[in-house]
Amino acid sequence: MTSTQASLTTSPAQQKDALAARTGLRGALYQAEATLRSMRAYGGVVLASSIFQPIMYILAMGLGLGVLIGDGADFSAYGAQSYLMYIAPAVLASTVAMSAGIEFTFPVMEGFKWRRKYYGAQATALTPAQIASGHILAVCVRFLVHSVVFIAVLYAFGAITSPLAVLQIFSATLGGLAMGLPIMAYISTLREEKGHAAIIQRFIMMPLFLFSGTFYPLTNLPAALQVIGWISPIWHANELGRVLAFGQPTPLWLTALHAGYLLAVVVISWRLVQRIFIRRLGYEEWRGRTPGAKADAKRQARVDAKETAAGAYRRAEGVPPVRVRSGLLASMYSGNIRAVFQRGLSAIRNNRGVIFISGFLEPVLFLTSFGLGISPMISGVEAADGGTVSYAAFIAPALLAVSAMNGAIFDSTWNVFFKLKITKLYQTMMSTSLGPLDVAVGEIFLALFRGGIYGLGFLGVLLATGLVDPLSALLMWFTALFIALGFASVGMAVTSFMKRFQQMDWMMMILMPMFLFSATLFPIEVYPQGVQWIIQAFPLWHGVELMRDIAFWDFGTMTLVHISYYLVMVAVGMTVAAYRMKKLFLR
Amino acid sequence: MTDDVSMAMCKLSLMPTAAAPATRASADSSLSPAIEAVDLTKRYGDFTAVDGITFSVTRGEAFGLLGPNGAGKSTTMRMIAAVAARTSGQMNVAGLDPEVEGPRVRARLGVIPQQDNLDEELTVRENIIMYGRYFGLPRRYLLAKADELLDFAQLSHKASARVEDLSGGMKRRLTIARALVNEPEILLLDEPTTGLDPQARHVLWDRLFRLKESGTTLVLTTHHMDEAEQLCDRLVVVDHGTIMAEGSPAGLIREHSTREVLELRFGMDRNAELAEHLEKILGDDDAAGFSHIEVLPDRLLVYAGQAETALERIHAAGLKPMTSLVRRSSLEDVFLRLTGRSLID
Repeated sequence: MTSTQASLTTSPAQQKDALAARTGLRGALYQAEATLRSMRAYGGVVLASSIFQPIMYILAMGLGLGVLIGDGADFSAYGAQSYLMYIAPAVLASTVAMSAGIEFTFPVMEGFKWRRKYYGAQATALTPAQIASGHILAVCVRFLVHSVVFIAVLYAFGAITSPLAVLQIFSATLGGLAMGLPIMAYISTLREEKGHAAIIQRFIMMPLFLFSGTFYPLTNLPAALQVIGWISPIWHANELGRVLAFGQPTPLWLTALHAGYLLAVVVISWRLVQRIFIRRLGYEEWRGRTPGAKADAKRQARVDAKETAAGAYRRAEGVPPVRVRSGLLASMYSGNIRAVFQRGLSAIRNNRGVIFISGFLEPVLFLTSFGLGISPMISGVEAADGGTVSYAAFIAPALLAVSAMNGAIFDSTWNVFFKLKITKLYQTMMSTSLGPLDVAVGEIFLALFRGGIYGLGFLGVLLATGLVDPLSALLMWFTALFIALGFASVGMAVTSFMKRFQQMDWMMMILMPMFLFSATLFPIEVYPQGVQWIIQAFPLWHGVELMRDIAFWDFGTMTLVHISYYLVMVAVGMTVAAYRMKKLFLR
Repeated sequence: MTDDVSMAMCKLSLMPTAAAPATRASADSSLSPAIEAVDLTKRYGDFTAVDGITFSVTRGEAFGLLGPNGAGKSTTMRMIAAVAARTSGQMNVAGLDPEVEGPRVRARLGVIPQQDNLDEELTVRENIIMYGRYFGLPRRYLLAKADELLDFAQLSHKASARVEDLSGGMKRRLTIARALVNEPEILLLDEPTTGLDPQARHVLWDRLFRLKESGTTLVLTTHHMDEAEQLCDRLVVVDHGTIMAEGSPAGLIREHSTREVLELRFGMDRNAELAEHLEKILGDDDAAGFSHIEVLPDRLLVYAGQAETALERIHAAGLKPMTSLVRRSSLEDVFLRLTGRSLID
């Protein structure tokens, strides 16, 4: 036996050893390849948004807001010839860093839990550390591609001129990693994702982005808020980018500090991610942790105690009759919307309450950032009556409209799609006497409920800061619900046509320009008439203007046009959604 | 362990009480079949999942849909449950057209899907209560019912746990318990025992028997032939969207197989060449009741009414199989005969 084995140069066992050795060297690359291949499914969206995002930001912020800022600020001290040039490198770094919030959260949960891809990889010769690095490398490639395309577009628009600016590819990627890797480390420890990604998005990434001196110099902010910038990888990447793009005068030590900070964060958190992967995918039984599990158990014990106290019901006569309405739409509607709504409330209660409350945080952060950061560069915005209003008062009503839109769209598209395809909640509901219409209407009510709470929070802040008066605030709250209803109806209709998650990304590409252009951050008068007509065709502009009409108590025929616009949206959205309902819930 | 389980089962009273069937009967004639399908067809684009099948399930019957993967069983179940629209044909569940009155039809159904689709955002108990709320059942009833069903599923100690923390078997039991919350007239079970251990399987069979005795109509799909033999009064074998055979388990065996089967192994190389020879030996002999031989790579299946006699004849002919086994024909023989042995996918 031994002689035959010796005579063969490569026995099967030796071949396997050779393969294992090769995997030992290049395993991370194999994992990266696998990750990139699965990313390819939305390669089109990545590429398109890389081209689209810079153009949108150039047109909106660089040109639009630039007109408003006008001579109010001089950026030559920073080495930039225009506002556009000043923000271009920062927009690049920010968009890369913000996409890290997606690439390092959901795919990681997918790997550990939703699709258990990492466990598949672990069954091969790959080590947990290689699996971790593979994922990170693949995201690096995505960042690099995004940066290259982005920079090409900026060059084309003359927003950057120096050849050195190409090096921003690396500074932006580094910033993205510095932002994403600590988040990845945290997400990898989780046993289940219960809105943690959303919490990170709202409580960590948003502030780090909004107070990172992207759209104005960090020094415009009060000292307390500048501290956020110092921590933020985005600020460091922004400043590095500005040095590279137009030679912003910066002491060498500070440049070194920016680069050193980012590098240090990346190296440390990369190691950390690997260690967590080793623990979680290693031989020890470790399924991750569920934050707040103890609190859950306590709360559930209370609920149980209450129910036991109330549940003195003795079953005597069997199941009560199940009442289902008949008549018109009998196949669609059973008359039990309440159950769907209740289920939503139960789920909210069981989830971390903080996610729910945090919804209003986003507009507050925007208001703080832009109100404080941009105001020093703008004397005020011309109001309809010829006077001027402060920049904060100008954007506040718009931000309320935007938040109503975002919440409604998120609920009616992303959430509905998730329950449809991933958790299969609607499949469960459809095996009871509920009809599709019960589910759809219940979900819309739930979206409005959520939107209503968010609106209340934001309006509370506006009232406290004196940006609106109480009567306007009340009317604006109802208007926010109305706007949310419009978007939720259309969102539901759109979702009925969706087949894959990637199509959601395409929808985001419509929402972003809508937010940027619809007179939210600057009046549309800065654009030529033709462009204004296009903006006015979109729903958000009507929502924003309607809110302003109420906030500044300035009503006219246009107010009626705005209201009618939303009435049409609700009618069309509901009709299409109802028509497509079978496609949506009954295959 | 098993004894404890069945004891727990015995204490349960899931059977509808005398009053309930009476009210149902007044709603729709008790003589009409529970489910009736005529020329039922479902197409997805070019693909025909269900190709004009006709069957009827009488009330109180346990009816099985057997077939390989992709045969159209689940699609048929979905059409019964009013969650898939039929392309053509007619269908009638509890006297109602599921397409016209989906909610009313589903109010009478209990659905146990192939894959547990529990609500992971709710606790174990909330899963049952909420499911009952979807039927519009009052909370007071549900609080008591949930305890009873948790007991049934042996999940009382997990009532406040998150669904996430349950094992696979526990999840399955919860899914089954949940489907009983409205005390359904017709229970649709799509591969109910897949993933259950033998103990849990027997407990479930026991429960299903009791439900059947109390008048619940059972419609189930399964891959386990022993399960079909155990539970079903009548079954249809479906393949490529059409019905291949229909009858009681015993009837199907009588019709499509011999009483007994003789399994012979001559070694991988010789099985095929000996088959013809054996056919000659047995073909002339009526005493063995020989029908035919099936050649598998590892063994020969000799279908014969008297397998012992057939084996004697083979020995007498001087053939010495490495191993031989005489057994009764089973539903599995019928199934493989009708749907073929190759993988379908």
